[in-house]
Amino acid sequence: MSTTGYDATGVTLKATAYGVVAFLVLANLVPFLFILSVSFMPPSEFFTDPHLVPYEPTLEAWTSGFEELRGNLVNSFLIGAGTALLALAITIPGAYAFARKEFYGKTAGFYAIISAMMFPYILLVIPIMDLWTALGVYNTIFGMILAYQVFVTPFSIWILRDFFENLPTDIEEAAQVYGCTQFTAFVRVILPLAAPGIVAVGFLAFLTGWNDFLFANLLTTGTGPVPAVPVLYGTIGGGSGERVYWGKLMAETLIIGTPPTIIYLVARNYLESAFSV
Amino acid sequence: MSTRRLFDIDGRTERYRSVLRENWFTYLLIMPVLLFLIVLMWLPFLQGIYMSFNEWPFGGDPTWIGAANYEFLLNWEPFYTSLKATAIFSLTTVFQLGVALAAALAVRELRRGKSFVSAAFLLSYTMPPLVIGTIWAYLLEPDFGPVFGYLTELNVLGETIYWGSSGPMSLAVVMFVTTWTFWPFMFLIISASLESIPEELYESARMYGAGPIQTFLRVTLPQLKSAILVALSIRIIWNMTKISQVLQLTNGGPGYDTSILAVLLYQFAYERGQMGVSYAIGIVLLVMTLGFVFVFIREFERASEGAGA
Amino acid sequence: MKQTEDTSSDTEPKQSGASSGNQNAVDASVSGNRIRLDGVRKTFNEGSVVACDDVNIEIDEGEFVVLVGPSGCGKTTTLRCIAGLEEPDRGSITVDGEDITGLKSKDRNLAFVFQSIALFPHMSVRKNIRFGLDMNTDLSSEEKRRRVEDVAETLGLSEALDRKPSALSGGQQQRVSLGRAMVMEPAAFLLDEPFSALDANLRDHMRVEVKKIQRELHTAMIFVTHDQEEAMTLGDKIVVMNNGYVQQIGTPYEIYNEPANRFVAGFIGSPSPNLVECTVERTADGIALASDFYTIPATETQAEHLESLVGETVIYGIRPEYLDLETDRGAFVADLDVVEPLGDRDAVHLSAGSTDLSAVTPQGEIARDTDRVHVDIQTEEAWLFEEDGTRIV
Repeated sequence: MSTTGYDATGVTLKATAYGVVAFLVLANLVPFLFILSVSFMPPSEFFTDPHLVPYEPTLEAWTSGFEELRGNLVNSFLIGAGTALLALAITIPGAYAFARKEFYGKTAGFYAIISAMMFPYILLVIPIMDLWTALGVYNTIFGMILAYQVFVTPFSIWILRDFFENLPTDIEEAAQVYGCTQFTAFVRVILPLAAPGIVAVGFLAFLTGWNDFLFANLLTTGTGPVPAVPVLYGTIGGGSGERVYWGKLMAETLIIGTPPTIIYLVARNYLESAFSV
Repeated sequence: MSTRRLFDIDGRTERYRSVLRENWFTYLLIMPVLLFLIVLMWLPFLQGIYMSFNEWPFGGDPTWIGAANYEFLLNWEPFYTSLKATAIFSLTTVFQLGVALAAALAVRELRRGKSFVSAAFLLSYTMPPLVIGTIWAYLLEPDFGPVFGYLTELNVLGETIYWGSSGPMSLAVVMFVTTWTFWPFMFLIISASLESIPEELYESARMYGAGPIQTFLRVTLPQLKSAILVALSIRIIWNMTKISQVLQLTNGGPGYDTSILAVLLYQFAYERGQMGVSYAIGIVLLVMTLGFVFVFIREFERASEGAGA
Repeated sequence: MKQTEDTSSDTEPKQSGASSGNQNAVDASVSGNRIRLDGVRKTFNEGSVVACDDVNIEIDEGEFVVLVGPSGCGKTTTLRCIAGLEEPDRGSITVDGEDITGLKSKDRNLAFVFQSIALFPHMSVRKNIRFGLDMNTDLSSEEKRRRVEDVAETLGLSEALDRKPSALSGGQQQRVSLGRAMVMEPAAFLLDEPFSALDANLRDHMRVEVKKIQRELHTAMIFVTHDQEEAMTLGDKIVVMNNGYVQQIGTPYEIYNEPANRFVAGFIGSPSPNLVECTVERTADGIALASDFYTIPATETQAEHLESLVGETVIYGIRPEYLDLETDRGAFVADLDVVEPLGDRDAVHLSAGSTDLSAVTPQGEIARDTDRVHVDIQTEEAWLFEEDGTRIV
């Protein structure tokens, strides 16, 4: 019977699907399990035979790691938050114009901005180092926030334009008929309704500022506002394995890696609605 | 009558003024975005091109040297090693696509737990790439890392592998970690696009007797085409220009075996302070990435046309 | 049947509104809240699409005016021009003699009710209704509260005031939208197909309610719809539009009985009138109109107008109710296609020669299985149009 044949392929398909999912979930989570484990091990323990549960768990790596990173984490936070705020201030008006206004060069302008997403940013960091030195913002938090806009602007415009475009025009017109100017209609009606998109963009911008290594490393020096990520780079830096306090390093990776993950989990629904191409 | 006319004219001028005001307002709205893109992208880019024709020490005064930076690169043996490494390394994008496509299709079959599964998948992508690179630097550490620890303990391997001293193995490790880190991005885009394929399409394919494989080739894949194209193009460029993991895992070594162009660029700028050479490498990288994107898009178009016919 | 003689002067379709408008222009400021549109033209895409042109309408205080026409006829654009949501290319709009053409819509003292309802989803019903008062007036909050609650009371929304729009039914949402307009006490209400999103029963109910409210408030209402039945039931004055031009302005009876042109004749009334192409012929008995199934004798009045048109093609228009169906004898014979019950009446669809005709009969008068019927035409009720649609008589 053809039905049994179909069922057999159906079952195989299902089994394969579950197999793939299980494998990938494990492949993603197990490494973190080891990291978590080693971050609770005293230095003597991770040079012995591999084991998952620490024999003598200690918080030492976490406390010293946190101590070491505290200033950098504050920098990272300021940079991330600043990047998000500046990005929203710049792109909300722009995205709104691209969604709702007619003006000369609209389509070309939009694609020029979007295609900037495809630009290899590493090509910008060298001249920006030079420019920032000339402008006096090299090695400052503000300079970093400014530099990250080049990553953030294109996708913010993209996401926000879609959000604004999908809001019914009628609602805006209703606001205008009932006494709003364009501006007050925007503030009272459009902004609240576009909140999910704005939150998504804000979080993504924060993540950009928090996660980046390249600009963070090249636009700051040891004396300046170094964010947390480049600190990790210094720690191994091609050094031999024995001199590295792996426990502390792994605690630090988790300290740096957890905030973005939490943000992602909190903002997930927003992000997913924003990501549907 | 005359007062009416006056009224009219007043109304008109008022109107034109407001039209003007509104257009002016529109340009005001997009001004910041354009300004930022010019100041942050085009200005540096143009300056960079100019830099590549100069001897340009960091913080120092430039000297015009024409194409000497490019000539230097062409006559410099490691540059070719780097080109080769870059070409091989770019295959990571294909691996990412493969994993992402399999994951997206598999997740679609799930009845429940989709949310947990995609959250687990995205864990590696939400963290800073350098964090992930550091984590793998530990996991794959030949002497103390758990991967080789378990492999030797379970006698899968006789002794641990010092992959850091072998060019091909280092490249493999770097590619593995890059793939592991970044496939969720493609997963995100592809599964969003997959979710948006209407159920009716699958149902009608089944009604007309298409099997699972035919359904995939004739319904799913064509619908995913643009999502895949977008994801591929973005990832090709981003993969070739993200350097933090390579730096953390191998620092470009051994020798120049894992010094993909972006790493070379970084080293010239950061370690040697030769901004001119650095940017010359950048130009080569730009040409190469654009070339790759172009070829991918063309091949993809051709392949999907073939499948559709 | 009432023959209103004076409308026959308005045979030139585009001018019908303008002629009466100009006569009254002088005393425009005397009566309160009179709205006038003078030669309004609006185009889109740099003039390539003409949405409406040469629109002249006059709306008296307390008048219920319905703009009706097929989709794309320019009725909504006209309404949006009045509201200030579109800027007309040409022409002026005055309220009480004051030109408001260039004003922003918030400064026009007009209230607009949207087809899509367009409530603010993030605000409660109370805030939605109060929105205009908050934005445009400086009434005390006590006064605002009183007005909102009065309006809510009138519309039966008192219970729903603190809910979000999404928690309301479609009918309630449209009521909120009306309330948002009413609370402003505007010079006129502009309604853009407000009930098209509602189901049929609710729509009937809302129609009656809106008409009642309008009578009570005695505020001008301009109502856009594509539904000619809705237009007939609601309007004191109906403006029929097509292809961006006003075709006819008149009371429901005028529009129904004396359509100014072929378009209006065909658009108003259900089932649609029969419009038959005929050739004017001179026969032994006088003038007659030859169709492919029957040669219809012209009445005396018709004959007078047709004298000069012998040999030309004209359109003979007759409403279905003026075709009498008999079983044994009649002017001509037609095949019966379908009998469509309309409630108390039946619509009977016939074909005679290659022409489709419809007639209306009392319920059950023609048995469904009848094959052929004899038909008589009440020729004195017919209209005649030139081939281009202009009314002859």
